[in-house]
Formats: sequence, C-alpha cells, structure tokens
Amino acid sequence: MTETASFQQEFKVKGGDFSRGGEASCEIKNLLRDLGLDPHLVRRAAIACYEAEMNIIMYAWQGRLDLLVTPHRIRIIAEDKGPGIPDIKQAMREGYSTATPEMRELGFGAGMGLANIKKNTDTFRIRSKVGHGTRLELTIKTNGRKA
Amino acid sequence: MNTENRHPLHINAKKCVGCVHCLTSCPTKAIRIKDGKARIISELCIDCGECMRFCPQDAIDSHTTSFSDLNAFKYKVAIPATVLYGQFDNATLPNEILFALRRVGFDSIYELSTICELNTAATEKFLKGHPRPRPFIASTCPVVVRLIQRRYPTLIDLIVPIEPPREIAAKILRANLPRVLKVKPSDIGIIHITPCPAKMVSINYPVSMEKSYLDGAISIRDIYKPVLQALRQSKDEAIMSRLFPETIFSGIGLGTALSGGETRGLKNLRTVAVSGIQDTIRVLNQVEMGMLRDVDLLECMVCPDGCVGGPLAVENRFMAKSRILRLVSHLGERSVVDDSDTNSLFQKNFMSFTHSLKPVKSTPLDADPVRAIQKAKQRNRIIKELPGKDCGACGAPDCRTLADDIIRGLALLTDCPFMMKEKK
Repeated sequence: MTETASFQQEFKVKGGDFSRGGEASCEIKNLLRDLGLDPHLVRRAAIACYEAEMNIIMYAWQGRLDLLVTPHRIRIIAEDKGPGIPDIKQAMREGYSTATPEMRELGFGAGMGLANIKKNTDTFRIRSKVGHGTRLELTIKTNGRKA
Repeated sequence: MNTENRHPLHINAKKCVGCVHCLTSCPTKAIRIKDGKARIISELCIDCGECMRFCPQDAIDSHTTSFSDLNAFKYKVAIPATVLYGQFDNATLPNEILFALRRVGFDSIYELSTICELNTAATEKFLKGHPRPRPFIASTCPVVVRLIQRRYPTLIDLIVPIEPPREIAAKILRANLPRVLKVKPSDIGIIHITPCPAKMVSINYPVSMEKSYLDGAISIRDIYKPVLQALRQSKDEAIMSRLFPETIFSGIGLGTALSGGETRGLKNLRTVAVSGIQDTIRVLNQVEMGMLRDVDLLECMVCPDGCVGGPLAVENRFMAKSRILRLVSHLGERSVVDDSDTNSLFQKNFMSFTHSLKPVKSTPLDADPVRAIQKAKQRNRIIKELPGKDCGACGAPDCRTLADDIIRGLALLTDCPFMMKEKK
C-alpha cells in the first residue's frame, strides 16, 4: 500500500558531540507535536530517538537519524559509522553497558539504552557489523492515536 | 470566554516602539510585532515576565492589584513574599518591614517563612509516601506549572500536588480570621505581596483549586516606595519592633526565596535545583526524554536565582540574595514548625490540590493528519527559502516561526524584507 502523505527529514549526529546531545531528538519531538500526535506517543518516540541519538554520540564516529512520518506510523532509522556491536543479544539486556566512567558521570550508561528503545517502540530491528557500524529501524504506530 | 484579559502582562501601545527585544526574549515565542507594535499571543503566554525584563522602553505593564483596590475590604491582610526582606538595606530587619506594612495601610500582616517551611515538610512527606515515579517536580513556581501544562503535558503527573505557601497561608487565615477578628468573611481581603506577575493569574484563574484563597497580589515595585517612606518615618516604631519582635521567622522557610531553597530543606532526598527560564526548559526536555530518573525532587524556578530575581522586585537580585542568605544563616537550620502540625494538616489533605492539573493542548499544524504532514513539508521548504538571519524585521522572532505563521495563515512570505527585495 502506498502512503498518501509522508514527511521525511534527516538529522545528522556527530560522534562525541555531547554538548549538543539530544538536539535532534528535541527537534523531532517538537515536529511530532506540531503534527498533532498524542503527547504520550510523542514522548515514546522522543525517548527512543534520544537513546538512539546518544548511542551514536557515545560510541560512533558519525551517524544520522532519519525520520519518516505517515498518517499511520512514525519510522526512525538510526544509522552510524562506528565500532558496531559484537554481541547484540548481550547488548539488549537491561543493565548491560560498555559505557566508560566519563559517560557514566554524565548520567549515561545505565545499560538501559537498547532495551529502553525497544520498550518504547512497536517494531525494533537492529543490524550491526563490527568495525563498520550499526543500523536501528524503529516504528511506532499512530493509527487512531491522534490527539 | 475572554482569554485576552487572563494575563497580567500587557503591551503599552503608547510606549512600545516595535523593537525586537521582547520578541526574541520570549521563551514560548508568544510575541509578534504587528503594525509597529508588539502583541502577545494569549494562548502561548506563560506569564514569565521575560519580555518585561528585556523591554528597553518600559512598555510592558503588569496588571497587579493596586492600592485603591484594597479599599474594597474593611479588613486588609498582607502576606508578603519573603523576597521582600531582601529589598531594603542590611540594617532593616524583617520585623521592621512587617511593621512598616502596617503603616502603609494593612490591618494585619502574616509572615510567610513558617508556611514555606511547612510546605517543604509536606513535600518531604509526599515524596516519602510516593517512591515512584521520579523525578517529582515542585509546584511552587506558577510559571513552571503553566509551562508543563502547555509544553510538557506528559509530565503533569510529576508535579507535586501540594499548594504553594501563599495559598496554604491564605487558606489557614481565611478559615480562622473571621472568628478570631469577629469580622464578616467577605470584609476580609487577603493580599499577597509579590515580585512575580504570574501570581495574579494563579489567583484569578487557579488551575489546582476551585477558587484562590487570596484576593489579589500587589507588586513589590508598587509597594516599595510607601514602605520605604514608612520605614523612614517610624524610627521609634522600628526600635520597638526590634525590642519586641512579634514574629518568629524560619530560616528554612526564608531560604525558599532563592533557587535551591526548597531542596535545601529536604534532608536525605536527592534533589536538583534549576533557575532561569532557558535552563528550566532544558532540564524539562531532559525529563521528558526519560532522564533524571534518579532524582527525587526537581525544583525549577523560571526567574534567575529564584523568586529574588522576579521581574517585579526592586532591588537587584544579587543584593537581595546576599541579604536573604545573611538572614538565613543568622536564623540557622532550626525548625520552627511543629511536626505534629505538619502531620495533622498533611493527613487531612489540607495542603493538597483539590483539582487535578489538565494539559493545555497546543494547536497542531492541521487537525487532519494528512494535511498536517503536507503542511510540515511545506514549512520546511519555506524555512529553506528564508534567509535564516532571525532578525525579527518581519514581526516574528525568527525565520522558523515566520515559516510556521505562514503555514498557519497568520503571516505572508512577503513579510520578510529579504524576500521582498528578491521579488523586486
């Protein structure tokens, strides 16, 4: 089925750029709100985006968030060029983290990231190649959840 | 419903020259310049008073209670915000200031620091009884509550549902004064003295109760001169008030005029104190994105350094802060509120919100999801077309907001002087 309308926007994320961490997610959040989506849906998307954005900032060299909104769903692709995840199963476990002490000092690395993304989305796909990068594809259904 | 008059801040068209200072300082982008004058978009305004701070023409009036309004009451009661004690010189003690208020025309004055301490104790009890969710957000600053209702609707349930000290104080007085003074309830006027324009809205249009227990709010700015005169004229009374202090002050409570004051009184809890509108927005964004879950109480005050930085205060906030800190250290950490009093009021839910807070919906680009998506795309195209100088010459605070206004049918692309030039 072809969608009748779709909104697409790409947000670049730079690895290591902690000072601007969360800006892309914040912009996505405001955009979804402008589209009239239910605030709780917007918040779920914002939390998922934020975790994905921070993962890129913390671990990767560079990456992007690609947002696609249709009347029925929100799709976010978070793709990065980075070290990749050797053991995805382990990385998905709550509490598992490879965050450095510096990251922990900033309040990250509680080992909730990927698990938290999954919890806040309807579909979650992850692909990673060690030494190349990681790609997340997330969707949140918005059918009939218009505010 | 006339929403225009809900806000205390009004542009004085005679003084406004249509410059862009208020435009760019407004955190919710609620101001536009139309026909050479600033206009406030009522539904977006959160009454923070930033525009007032930045206006070089003094063209933004704050409609608070005036002295003549007090004549409607036979018996006039004042509840001054503790910020008032920081407005006069170091030699002027709080007791003298309270005494001077009597000369200004109030029949009795009730001091707020004890109630501030009571409020802090009640907040502590609430937090201990509610281990989840985290973080809770203090409800003391009315602008924070309004901001959350509009911009962070999913955080509404995190607001501590306890009334601020001024309302608790007025509620206690309203319940007891008619009997104590043998005066008809309607003859008693309870007035807050405040550095904050938003208090007027929380009194006239309360969100967490049916009706405010206060009858009005006088700004420190308006009452400053009469109080100063009274202080000068009554040297003998000042000596008397020093020798026979009528009021017990709470050091814990007095500190709440400053950012971090409320959290300082909370022992054994993890707290974060934020002040200033931009930092408040930043930290609320973080909370919305799932951070600060290990914090028990987040105290946000939109004025810099807390209520001492209120736009209707007279003394600069650094001097006021220094004086209040001096009083706080002089009074010490000793608690003046009896634990059993706190317990009994807390158990009766005397201090609790009686109405649950409701979110205020923002207007989407379009009610229809397909059209909203199309409009968002169109808006992005317009943003790319605009010069991105954010000069404000079009009357909107920045290019992005102009694009938004154009999409919503409130402005034209040709409002931008750079676009006009290109056309020619």
